[in-house]
Amino acid sequence: MTALEKRSPKKRGCLGCSFPVLIIIGVVVIGLLVLGLLAGPIGQKLLERFGIDLSFPAWLVPASPAIHLAAPGVFNVLGVSITNTMMAGWITVIFLVLFSWLVTRRMKLVPGRLQIVFESILGWIYDLCVSVAGEKNGRRFFPVVCTIFLFVGFNAWLSLIPGFGSIEVNGHELLRGANTDLNTPLALAIVSFFFVLYLGFKDLGFKWLSQYFAFGPFFKAIGRTFKGKFNVMDIFSAAIGIFVGLLELLSMFIRLISFTFRLFGNMTAGEILVIIGAFLIPMIGVNFAIYGFEMLVGFVQALVFSILTLVFATMSVSSHEAEAH
Amino acid sequence: MDKLVPAFQLLGIGFYVVVCIAGGAGLGWWLGGKKPVFIIIGLVIGLILAFYGAYRMIRPLIDSNNKQDKGNG
Repeated sequence: MTALEKRSPKKRGCLGCSFPVLIIIGVVVIGLLVLGLLAGPIGQKLLERFGIDLSFPAWLVPASPAIHLAAPGVFNVLGVSITNTMMAGWITVIFLVLFSWLVTRRMKLVPGRLQIVFESILGWIYDLCVSVAGEKNGRRFFPVVCTIFLFVGFNAWLSLIPGFGSIEVNGHELLRGANTDLNTPLALAIVSFFFVLYLGFKDLGFKWLSQYFAFGPFFKAIGRTFKGKFNVMDIFSAAIGIFVGLLELLSMFIRLISFTFRLFGNMTAGEILVIIGAFLIPMIGVNFAIYGFEMLVGFVQALVFSILTLVFATMSVSSHEAEAH
Repeated sequence: MDKLVPAFQLLGIGFYVVVCIAGGAGLGWWLGGKKPVFIIIGLVIGLILAFYGAYRMIRPLIDSNNKQDKGNG
């Protein structure tokens, strides 16, 4: 019998807790909220205004938040500075590898709970890939798209674990969400950029480049002019074609910037929001709501990054296919 | 799901517009120093690029919408 079955169904309560336990939890939460409100800068200012002198022990009063955009190096290994965001990235990778190994170690036809969770996540992303890129291409894109989704998502969620940013070494946080360092989103954006580039080249060869450097029709139109078939509209539309191609090239490179700054901006803003929230009302305060919001933001950003990679990869292999038909 | 591909393309549109306009103005500033005429020319070119590019990005979405309307009608 499982623990769930053992519990009497007649027992009254909520969320698996009986009422006395719920009441105790509620009192503790409200107590911490009031304590946090009074110990934080908001409460201190209010108390000052009303002339009440209530001093709290130093460990209860939050320190002024310091926000560093650049990730500080925590250690030096063989002259290489190891930053806190790098370590958070490694932890995410180790976590994902271990988790995957644990799940796939003993795969069963009738899956266990852990296998069901993992299979449903992967199945959902796989269905998404297939629905956007088709059966054949969806299978090809799935590994990269899924890796990006899991890495970005788990990175975001990992930094929400309480205590993650609280450990300090050499005056700096030991760990900080990898997405809040501009280098990680940039690295991911470069991976995504070269993935799209590679697919385009692999499937269409140098023809793929002709959509960006569309000089062919222009030279053909000029050539026809020399043969006596002068057509202004031909030359004009070919010139527009060159312009459009260069515009596409420009937008491809701008994509790199937008990929990077979207993820970096969203994650850093979230981190700052949590820091400020924890400063204004420490312990259980506004962060209660911000945490839920940040979990959603982490998921949405992981989804956006991976779907955009999927969409651009799909476009890069099908841009000329569609024209040929 | 048909609209997912063009709709997601639009996510980069803001960056595209910003980079085009700022890039155009920056280029004009680099070319002409403090002469405002170059900055204005750069700005205008950047604006044209931004609007035309944005129009081209939005077009697939409009097309798919039109197709759907025709299908329904």
